[in-house]
Amino acid sequence: MSTYHSKRAKEFLKNPEEKISRHDQTFWSVRQKRDAAAAQLPEWENLREQASRIKAHTVTHLADYLEQFTTNLEKNGVIVHFAKDAQEFNEIAYGILETHKVRKLVKSKSMLTEECGLNPYLMERGIDVVESDLGERILQLMHLKPAHIVMPAIHLTRDEVGEMFEEKGISKEIGNHDPTYLTYCARQNLRKDFMDADAGMTGCNFGVAATGDCVVCTNEGNADMSTSVPKLHIVAMGLEKVIPDYASLAVFHRLLSRSGTGQPATSFTSHFRRARPGAEMHVILVDNGRSDITANTAHWETLKCIRCGACMNTCPVYRRSGGYSYSYFIPGPIGVNLSMLKDPKKHSGNVSACSLCLSCDCVCPAKVTPGSQIYRWRQSLETYGTENKEKKVMAEGMKAVYENYPVYDALLRNSSVANYIPEAWADTSLNPWSIGHTMPRFARKPFHALFKQAMEELKNGK
Amino acid sequence: MKKEDLLRRLRRHTIQQFDMPETAVKGITYPDVARQFIETSKNVGCKVIEAKETDDLNAIIRQAYPDAQVFASNVKGIQADRNPDTVAEAQELNGTDVGIVEGQVAVAENGCVWVPQTMKERVVCFVSEQLVILVRRRRIVNNMHEAYSRIQMTDYGYGCFISGPSKTADIEQALVMGAQAARGVTVILIG
Amino acid sequence: MRVGLFIPCYVDALYPQVGVATYRLLRKLKLNVVYPERQTCCGQPMANGGFERMSEHLAERFEDKFRDFDYVVTPSVSCAAFVRVNYPQILDHACQTPEKTMELVEFLHDILKVRELPGSFPHVVSVHNSCHGVRELGLSSPSELQIKPFNKIVDLLRLKDGITVKEPDRKDECCGFGGMFAVEEPYVSSRMGNDKVKAHMATGAEIVTGSDCSCLMHMQGVAARQKYPVKFMHVAEILAAGL
Repeated sequence: MSTYHSKRAKEFLKNPEEKISRHDQTFWSVRQKRDAAAAQLPEWENLREQASRIKAHTVTHLADYLEQFTTNLEKNGVIVHFAKDAQEFNEIAYGILETHKVRKLVKSKSMLTEECGLNPYLMERGIDVVESDLGERILQLMHLKPAHIVMPAIHLTRDEVGEMFEEKGISKEIGNHDPTYLTYCARQNLRKDFMDADAGMTGCNFGVAATGDCVVCTNEGNADMSTSVPKLHIVAMGLEKVIPDYASLAVFHRLLSRSGTGQPATSFTSHFRRARPGAEMHVILVDNGRSDITANTAHWETLKCIRCGACMNTCPVYRRSGGYSYSYFIPGPIGVNLSMLKDPKKHSGNVSACSLCLSCDCVCPAKVTPGSQIYRWRQSLETYGTENKEKKVMAEGMKAVYENYPVYDALLRNSSVANYIPEAWADTSLNPWSIGHTMPRFARKPFHALFKQAMEELKNGK
Repeated sequence: MKKEDLLRRLRRHTIQQFDMPETAVKGITYPDVARQFIETSKNVGCKVIEAKETDDLNAIIRQAYPDAQVFASNVKGIQADRNPDTVAEAQELNGTDVGIVEGQVAVAENGCVWVPQTMKERVVCFVSEQLVILVRRRRIVNNMHEAYSRIQMTDYGYGCFISGPSKTADIEQALVMGAQAARGVTVILIG
Repeated sequence: MRVGLFIPCYVDALYPQVGVATYRLLRKLKLNVVYPERQTCCGQPMANGGFERMSEHLAERFEDKFRDFDYVVTPSVSCAAFVRVNYPQILDHACQTPEKTMELVEFLHDILKVRELPGSFPHVVSVHNSCHGVRELGLSSPSELQIKPFNKIVDLLRLKDGITVKEPDRKDECCGFGGMFAVEEPYVSSRMGNDKVKAHMATGAEIVTGSDCSCLMHMQGVAARQKYPVKFMHVAEILAAGL
């Protein structure tokens, strides 16, 4: 019965109670901050609807907006590249770095480079890649993957980070695992990298077609540090990040950080329109499957996602299973969807990670409806041959009973016998229900028999 | 991949098209935008000093940062030790205690101040331990809809909305001011 | 008004008293209630598990059985939601039951506009807001949305004399049942259930109540395993108390 996610979740839930509840509580508190921030704006629901409609318009006119965007970029002297897939993206990025004889690259957070596996690609070719977002830096030093798209390292404890910093010589005071102290140590350590890096790379939250601005939102200011010193700035950007204009940007800006972290704005909203004096700026626009999603009638709306992470924070399954329980680098409700779009056979094991509570549908600032779409993915698993075979047998059994009334009737009239099966006999491998529950007790008589009896008694004047 | 191939592919793949919404969202407005801006700024960890047109800004800045040694600015009338317009390389601004820059638009709903690049080396906005942003009180707007209809980009082609100091909560969700950029921000509202 | 009573399979088998309470309640409100014989399941369990195709025949049958009523009323949130939201896409023809099918609470609250109920229920209860009731049927305002708060279950319960109605912290977080989710992801499901029951108990309630027996069944199973001293009752049973 076990899917990839359910097996990994089982492992996660073997953690000490305190760690499990802290994980849940941490992300729930972010959800609460999001609620509080949203409640400040009487126009919140209008904003969500507007964002959804602007995105629906943009992703169904993507070619037009990309044309406008690239024309403006080039007008501003920015060099534009197009990458068909991860391989091409990595080659282009490396090509630019090689031409500029770059030895050290500082990066601000980019899930796209994670998607394409850029870091190992560059490091194999001798480039020193330094992640500069604190969370990403911690993960890089610990050789771990992000467990969340906005707060990638929040699942780690201060002690785990502190011990690693001590080991790497980043912190000097042994045993001081205070987050303020550790952050300060990382700041001093990274400052050197910012000063001597040969190039900076950023992601892109929004590409504004009307102006050619690449807009990057950070709290640490690391995108700006990464691009204000070196003479080369490379922007890695998924195709779907383009939006029409500043008026649209205002809508997304107001939603993004409120949804993601509950802040009214990130500390920095940086607009990169052209290279700084004496420097060069490149934008690599990456397809890597996105143009196929535009043709997917059931799931094209995933392209509306602005990667705020709110669906993860609200997801009761994510909070109780952790980011590493999913087989894709983006976890949670949107991750389940994106993984299926990437490779359904490989990632079908994530589709079970949803109780269909639909909280994500209601929290999503762009109304992507990830939960409703997981329901649709479930229906398609049979076409990939990845449906859960035991579950299918169960469903077929239920269907057979429900469709055959005499069988249904006979079963229900006699089912209370099952109440006498001792709990100790329950085999959890055959009956996963008994892992966390006692068995429900069948009624001595089902409702339909009681009702019939009552009607007959009425008729007979009893 | 060629741009033309991609665009052709996208056009071929698009099945249904949706129109842009016709009406804009009406953003929140406040009875007193300055008061709201000050309150929001404090919430995002920013200090606000209200100054009159006739006040001596240099005195205010020195008073706010009595222990600071190295000041950097290219703002006319501001005394500084380093000038981001004249340094040869951005790195020379590392070690700045206080950077002083000008903001163009301030936003009441989120404490953002639009700081367009008006200096050769914009790193002054980020590398300084403390950042001072000078902005006219009359430039405060209600919300981002208003802000985005007003901001101007300079020829440098860079600008940033700054809302308080650099911060992170990447370790156990504990909020820490001063991740990679300025550890503290003071906005001086003039007028 | 002719009302067809739909008693879903698991209510039929496990909680017949909920069906009885629903019937009594509707009769008390002077409705012409008919319980069509030979009804079984709406098809939801298979569809939520990913086998919607196995629900087609059951959906057809439901449509046949209930088409001619003015309303179809059921004491089960997720079944009502399934008929309303999913039938139009499952049945490849025009169908009438999706718009006629109502969960008991919304039927009482919105259609009959019940504003008083006799009988008292002198207990402290914690309301379980089932996901599909909240986010598909609109029984209460979803906590995610910035809209004026409301809760139709709470409104109805408050009509009973002597009752104290509470809601848990995280008032509409999922209990982790989710149909086949509970057997496919048993560890996460029972963890969610345990957290949820604890939140209900923290209100000081003696009884957890809601309008979906499947959530209640799940939580009851978790609570019994943990030996928690808390009872579970369907809203219909409380509303019908002392009639």
